Amino acid sequence: MNFLERLFGKRSSAETAKQRLQLVLVHDRAEIPPGVLALIKDDIIAVISRRVNIDREHVVVNVTHEDKASKLVVDIPLLSGTDGQAPGRSGSNAQRSTRRTPSASS
Amino acid sequence: MEEKVITVTSGKGGVGKTTTTANIGAALALLGKKVVVLDGDIGLRNLDIVMGLENRIVYDVVDYVEGRCRLRQALIRDKRAPELYLLPTAQTRDKTAINPEQMVQVCDELRKEFDYIIIDSPAGIEQGFQNALAPADRVLVVTNPEVSSVRDADRVIGLVESHEKGPVQLIINRLIPARVKKQEMLSTQDIMDVLSTEIIGIVPEDEAILSSSNRGTPVVFNGKSPAAIAYRDIARRLIGENVPLTQPQTTSWWQRLLGKTE
Repeated sequence: MNFLERLFGKRSSAETAKQRLQLVLVHDRAEIPPGVLALIKDDIIAVISRRVNIDREHVVVNVTHEDKASKLVVDIPLLSGTDGQAPGRSGSNAQRSTRRTPSASS
Repeated sequence: MEEKVITVTSGKGGVGKTTTTANIGAALALLGKKVVVLDGDIGLRNLDIVMGLENRIVYDVVDYVEGRCRLRQALIRDKRAPELYLLPTAQTRDKTAINPEQMVQVCDELRKEFDYIIIDSPAGIEQGFQNALAPADRVLVVTNPEVSSVRDADRVIGLVESHEKGPVQLIINRLIPARVKKQEMLSTQDIMDVLSTEIIGIVPEDEAILSSSNRGTPVVFNGKSPAAIAYRDIARRLIGENVPLTQPQTTSWWQRLLGKTE
């Protein structure tokens, strides 16, 4: 890594290698190819948004790997206010994410 | 359990399994152990040529398994160490010539006579690898500081664990300290973070390795080269000595001037 690369804050190739490895190994270990995760995300969005309004742009679906066990972690921000009254929402008890809309009330 | 059968594997080809097997086997023999190195790569044998014993092969392990010779007839004695033997494999057969049960049986015979049986696994995760894994008491996974071999090492470590074999330890081979320092190469710490597997040795890139395989003389026989030192340290760790893991150092211009390789 030369002086200029360092000056412009370019990441070293070893660092890039490590990050790429960590990502790909999560999928290798869980035996879920990254493309399948994208499909799972679409499915989840379709199912959840039948009941509640969600912030589709910020849904995150990830596989994590801790202590030799893989976990699917899904983060779905809900939209609040009157937008939240999605069709067929009655009876659902979705917990609101306060990340996007801190003063959630309907 | 006494860990007699040690399998050297990697997933990816070309990372240095055969060189590692030859040198660890020779280093253990130089420590006074009775050692046999067994070539697990049926059809693509190379342990014989790396050790310089290729001209002495009459029978091989497939001949023994198929009843054409006694085990003793297939063993080639390496006179450069007190008790070092090579059990070659067949060059004109394929991986299906031996199955895992037969491999276990061969190793059970060898266990009676030897302190250590070091198996050079073929690349890949197919039957040749399964054969090499079946009798293992301990598995050494060789990797280079490079993304594809690290990824394959992770896959192999997973397979070894799912077969309930182990312990698994890692050998980082061909590390170039100067490039790690410049952050152009994965460091030992990076690989530990990614694979979370115990490291039993770090072997630096070493010009002496190519000339040693050119000549058929493993570096541990006559070398003070960095790789020879690293392999001897691994052998001492294998027999239970407490040898701290040292990071290979960058060599300065004056060290190169004095000549670190033969």
